[in-house]
Amino acid sequence: MSIEVKNLIKNFGERRVIDNVSFKVENGKTLAIVGFSGSGKSTILKLICGLLEADSGEIITSEGDIAMVFQYSALFDSLNVADNIAFALHERKELRKKYTEKEIRKIVAEKLQLVGLKGIEKKFPSELSGGMQKRVSFARAIVTEPKSILYDEPTAGLDPISSTLIEDYIVRLKDETNAASVVVTHQMSTITRTADYVIMLYDGRIVFEGTPEEMLRQDNEYTKQFVTASLEGPMQMISEN
Amino acid sequence: MSSLQKYYKQSATYKIASGILKELEKFLDTLGKITLNGIEVIKCILKFQIDIRELIEQCSRFGVSSLPITLSIVGMTSIIVASQVALEMVKQGGGNFVGLLMTILLVRELGVIMSGFAIISMIGSSLASEIATMRVTEQIDAIDVLKVNPIRYLFVPRVLSGFIMMPPVVLIATAIGVITGAITAHLTSGLGYRAFFDSAWLGIYMKDLSVSMLKAFCFGGVIALISCSCGYYASGGAKGVGEATTKAVVWSFVAIVILDMVFAGIFFF
Repeated sequence: MSIEVKNLIKNFGERRVIDNVSFKVENGKTLAIVGFSGSGKSTILKLICGLLEADSGEIITSEGDIAMVFQYSALFDSLNVADNIAFALHERKELRKKYTEKEIRKIVAEKLQLVGLKGIEKKFPSELSGGMQKRVSFARAIVTEPKSILYDEPTAGLDPISSTLIEDYIVRLKDETNAASVVVTHQMSTITRTADYVIMLYDGRIVFEGTPEEMLRQDNEYTKQFVTASLEGPMQMISEN
Repeated sequence: MSSLQKYYKQSATYKIASGILKELEKFLDTLGKITLNGIEVIKCILKFQIDIRELIEQCSRFGVSSLPITLSIVGMTSIIVASQVALEMVKQGGGNFVGLLMTILLVRELGVIMSGFAIISMIGSSLASEIATMRVTEQIDAIDVLKVNPIRYLFVPRVLSGFIMMPPVVLIATAIGVITGAITAHLTSGLGYRAFFDSAWLGIYMKDLSVSMLKAFCFGGVIALISCSCGYYASGGAKGVGEATTKAVVWSFVAIVILDMVFAGIFFF
């Protein structure tokens, strides 16, 4: 078991954003978390990787690193691509001792090749397109060989072709690393092309669990509304307040 | 809720009191965060967890980049003060004490406090907005997820560069202040340079210089620490970056004025 979440609860002030959520993700599998904006999807990722603390519940992960690919890439704009990817290798004491500078350069080149961006080491994030930035952030995420990879809306804001490319890389990274992956997304193509399982959140609670095929069958009134993008249905826009 | 409670909550007294309490809570929260970050920075420095390459870069930013504006502000302040006092003192027969007065003013107070203000406006605001932008674009979250200590990576080189670079900047600015003071006194009152510098030496004691350098050392670190902390806790996009920068400037101004009073109380009373 690589990621297991049990009875997770998180409140922001008086508002409960995650309400008793539980799920498991095996190594080499991908879980997609879908739902309305503000339904608590990204909060779950932040809880898993330790950026937020849960009010109650349990998160069990395999030993090793958890990587996260951020919605807007979150590349360090003062560092070039090579330094972005090698950031953890340079800054973490145990990794700095493990690798020489020559080995680090080799690892960076390998990771860049894996995401199809060979030879852009010296470029700065501002010189790259949105899709390329996203792929560099993939390379940065996997540089520590994580056991779990979290993706926060990896295809948001990208054109359909770039989205397909990113989806292919999500599948490829899962196969290469055998990591447990969690993808937060709104896009149907990302769900169908990358996920083994899907959970749908509404108002912080799980309202659907199943495979992408089961989701597309629209047996559930929530998935039906989501897939058909209908305004009519059980889900109404949640007020931020 | 009883109608009396409702009435009370609508009253001006309640609104003013709750507003004050809320501001006090925010103030203590910020003070606590800055203190905790300061402790963490000191821990990292004592363990020598310092990125030398980044430290050199920050020293260059803190010292070299800020020098023109710092020298201009201290120099111009000195011109203003000298032009106000030199002629009057010469008229009253105190021309021999113009250099002494200017030197005491610059070494004890003007050099360090005006340099502090210049550094806050140039470096403090830039540190706060840089780190706040990193916060709102999730770059600091990325540092956290990559299991790198953001305090060590972001704060330590910046705060340490403040400690290291502020004393030489103040020393140079003070020297420039004394020179511009002498020129101004000569131009406005005809006071000779010899007379100015003869009395200037009388006003400098080792204690004054040491306290000035100690103040500069503390001001530099405090400005960098407050600026980094205000940026670090920014939230909410471009507006959050602006608010963090304003907060960093206001807190740094107030902090160095309070510190200056504490130094004056300890060393000159």
